[in-house]
Amino acid sequence: MITFPGPVSALVALPVSADRDGIARVLALERLARDALPEVRATIPAFNRLLIEGSPSSWDPEEAEARLSAAVKECVRSVPQIDAGDPVSLPVCYDPELAPDLEDLAASAGLGVEEVARCHSGVAYLVLATGFAPGFAYLGDVDRRIAAPRLTAPRRRVEAGSVGIADRRTGVYPAAGPGGWRLVGRVPATLFEDPAERIARFRPGGTVEFRMIDRGTYEAYGG
Amino acid sequence: MNPHGVVERPGPFCTIQDLGRRTGRRAGVAPGGAMDQRACLWANRLLGNDPAAAVLEVTLGGFALRFEVRTVVAVAGAGCGATLDGAETGGWRTLRVRPGQLLRLGYGAPGLRSYLAFPGGLDAATAFGSASAVVRDGLPGLQGRRIRPGEPLRWHAPGHRCPVRRVPDELIPPVADSLTMPLVAGYEWAEFSRDDRTRVFDATWTVDPASDRTACRLAGPALTTGPRVLDSTPLVDGTVQVTGDGLPLVFMRDRPTIGGYAKLGSVDPIALDDLAQARPGTPVRFVRAEPDALRRALARRESFFGIGDER
Repeated sequence: MITFPGPVSALVALPVSADRDGIARVLALERLARDALPEVRATIPAFNRLLIEGSPSSWDPEEAEARLSAAVKECVRSVPQIDAGDPVSLPVCYDPELAPDLEDLAASAGLGVEEVARCHSGVAYLVLATGFAPGFAYLGDVDRRIAAPRLTAPRRRVEAGSVGIADRRTGVYPAAGPGGWRLVGRVPATLFEDPAERIARFRPGGTVEFRMIDRGTYEAYGG
Repeated sequence: MNPHGVVERPGPFCTIQDLGRRTGRRAGVAPGGAMDQRACLWANRLLGNDPAAAVLEVTLGGFALRFEVRTVVAVAGAGCGATLDGAETGGWRTLRVRPGQLLRLGYGAPGLRSYLAFPGGLDAATAFGSASAVVRDGLPGLQGRRIRPGEPLRWHAPGHRCPVRRVPDELIPPVADSLTMPLVAGYEWAEFSRDDRTRVFDATWTVDPASDRTACRLAGPALTTGPRVLDSTPLVDGTVQVTGDGLPLVFMRDRPTIGGYAKLGSVDPIALDDLAQARPGTPVRFVRAEPDALRRALARRESFFGIGDER
């Protein structure tokens, strides 16, 4: 579905799921849209949606709708190719002392803490969207066995570097603040100190890997 | 390096701004930029600067800058109450200044924000193609912080000379007692109830004191909260979002790039400049926009001020 949320923009919602498959098709649409439309100033892919911002002097909504419709057909039909580039690798310490929901999540999944950690860290995740907070990325898809719903009451404070799970998505809180995802690990917060680096780390369609580290290695990073 | 001027008093909130950033949006970086872009554009135009040159945004006055060099600056923005060594100068004009002179920007006339431009633009660090400080995110130069007392400033062309220039009276935007914001219906608009959709154009809200550079919050009649939104959606400039309390807010320059609450659409991007100057309590109404008229007005503005596709 193509709509026009502002005078110089179009929003495409692809009729596909908001998971890895969704973002892969949205990224294909982004490439097609940049070629098909004149003077595209910005694109924002997120989950199964793409926002396209044009230039006021050349934007024509009817033309945009026609060209985007053709592009939508093409990327819904084809098998999405992901060109993810080099993965971002983040060290995670899966220690219940640093991850207050880890033991509960493991128990309800019928797994040991170690198994949850292996399950979470053994996957190359795709960045489905960035946002919520600067430097936050929605990553997917989490193995079904460790997928878990959000907390019913969000925590008032989640520490920077906390790794959370919400349904089949996972992500790292870049700064301390409130949050409702189930916390299963911790990336050393020292990796989130530089704002420009923190924000530029994740881009939609990029890949992220978590590598398991022990408590000693975590402390060596400066915690 | 010697400063060209020193901020003796920054006032309640003073930051470096320009026209904001487009390139970082894809990675989730807030656009930032001057809240009142029209005033910022005029300040730079008066000096013959690039339209995207970095300026100071002064909020609620209380600002004083001591010059260290002979130079020329431009002041613009609603009610900037400018004085040079105590003598009123008026705004929307260039000012020639000598070393040792003190420029103050006050707060008294209507409006909230004034802009001070420097020849060649402020010498400031950039991130994602813009010097605009987003204080919440720590971007870019000065770690994105606000200007502090004693802050040294340098600008690119302190020796620039130009005749005294003023914005023609008929082009100085008036500060309205109340605002009528053209709204492009979009996003989840059609999923709000008929009552809500009627109320959006019938109700009068007022600017809430909790408004800031991220959002202009509106106080007044509550809507129902609208449809549940499953996934955060990319936002356009001026997106109007309805949060849990049923009150609409208009996203301003330091807005996030995606949002997870139900949204009514977006307001005329040019009308954001007026909203940036609206003091708390100012009545705000929405009228249905004709998107093509808004697009043409934006194109005219960009052509007049020489804004291009870069950034």
